[in-house]
Amino acid sequence: MLEVKNLDVWYGDVQVLRKVSVHVDEGSIVALVGANGAGKTTLLRTISGLLQPRKGEIVFADKPLHTMKPQDIVDQGIIHVPEGRRLFADLTVLENLRLGAYTPTARPFFLESMERVYKLFPVLKERKDQKAGTLSGGEQQMLAIGRAVMARPKLIMLDEPSLGLSPIFVRAMFELIATLNDQKVTILLVEQNIHQALKIAHQAFVLKIGKIVMSGKGDELLADKEIRKAYIGERASK
Amino acid sequence: MILGDIGLIGQVVVNGILFGSMYGIAAIGLSLIFGTMRIVFIAQGAVIVLFAYFCFWLFNLLGIDPYLSLIPIVLVALLIGTGLYYGLFREAAALQDRIGSLLIAVGVMFFLENFMTVIWTPNPRAIVTSYGFYTLNLIGMHFTLVRVIGLVIAALATIAVATFLKKTLIGTAVRAASEDVEATSLMGINPDRVNAFTFAIGIGLAAIAGITLATTYSFDPMYGIDFAIKALVALTLGGIGRVGAAFMGGIILGLIELLGTYFVGAAWAQAIVFAVFLLALNFRPQGLFGGATSEKA
Repeated sequence: MLEVKNLDVWYGDVQVLRKVSVHVDEGSIVALVGANGAGKTTLLRTISGLLQPRKGEIVFADKPLHTMKPQDIVDQGIIHVPEGRRLFADLTVLENLRLGAYTPTARPFFLESMERVYKLFPVLKERKDQKAGTLSGGEQQMLAIGRAVMARPKLIMLDEPSLGLSPIFVRAMFELIATLNDQKVTILLVEQNIHQALKIAHQAFVLKIGKIVMSGKGDELLADKEIRKAYIGERASK
Repeated sequence: MILGDIGLIGQVVVNGILFGSMYGIAAIGLSLIFGTMRIVFIAQGAVIVLFAYFCFWLFNLLGIDPYLSLIPIVLVALLIGTGLYYGLFREAAALQDRIGSLLIAVGVMFFLENFMTVIWTPNPRAIVTSYGFYTLNLIGMHFTLVRVIGLVIAALATIAVATFLKKTLIGTAVRAASEDVEATSLMGINPDRVNAFTFAIGIGLAAIAGITLATTYSFDPMYGIDFAIKALVALTLGGIGRVGAAFMGGIILGLIELLGTYFVGAAWAQAIVFAVFLLALNFRPQGLFGGATSEKA
């Protein structure tokens, strides 16, 4: 469904991604894990068109994405929930959702999509006239994902959805990702919470200083000694 | 002297409000353009004067009433605004560096000033309509009809723009873009379309201010810069990003200017305007109405 091939991305004179290749199968959950600064966010930003790769290609449903503008990529069916949510804080919950269904393909389904979002997150319906900036962290994350669902995406890219959430919301977030996946939405997930991410993922890629150093099924990587030592061990000892 | 004529002071207050409403709508245009594109559109004043000349020509050459010419001039202004964005500001608006767009705006201003000087000479012009000197009398105060109409038009334009931004999808996108342009592009919103739209509204408001100016005062090609700076001051007073706040900032500025002129003279009034501007920047950089109104632009 999504094929990233030999991607080189630079920030000015600094190379951030080196020959990165990732593939995402339709209907799957794919996790992208790695330490801070490994290039996970950069990869998502390149897929969504915010950054231009210097080399390599990105193909989605047989169409090249790396030459498209961000707004056109959204219309292809890829939505990016960026790190830090990036909600429109001064706009109401409903206005945020409305903008989520902005594309010509999503707009006619606005009411239908809104019902779907309210079903996933009943609290958003209660707070629909409230400004997004006044929501709690967990509610804001719900709105960010709800806003993404409004676009009727085939693929949702989530950048650190559990960051800064309380343990209850973290669990709810992973349940939600599974629910969305059951609704035939493909998920590309970037997570610091590596244990949870690998547990839920069908396929996972490990990024280290701009390179893919390992890939495999989620549970395989979860069982891998190196991975446990490098990324999960620290958490377990806490 | 101060208590000498309450009626006269009342008149000065009302005229200040009327005058300030023009600064107000100019400030809304600046606020919108700055909000979504971070462009300080210093040419706004020159554009206002250009539309005043349009109005002047339509009246003098074709005998079209200024208020009737409002509709075609605003329509032309919307086109000019779109053209300005795609023709001159599109590339610069995408840059992080804001100097480029400021320089282009300064260039537009100087071009228009000189262009207008060539076409219409540097002599002041004014529109003299049959009803231009008609005054309304209210509890001992006299107001010229055209100024009252000007205020009404400015207030209606402000309400219209605020409502539009609030109720329509593209208006919501404009408000969203003034918070976070990148996030709007991740929603599938084309930034160029939002920016062009915003520019069109900004220039449309300049047209309304231009017609109000043409019907109430005399103007010359160099009048614009003063107007643009006053609009910037109004914007700072009111608070950047909110339609109602920018309008109120204009009215307060108009009041300071006219009351200052009445009590201490015109020269001092200008000094006071900028002293207040500096004080406001220092003590309330978010504006007097930052947070007080909800229609964010």
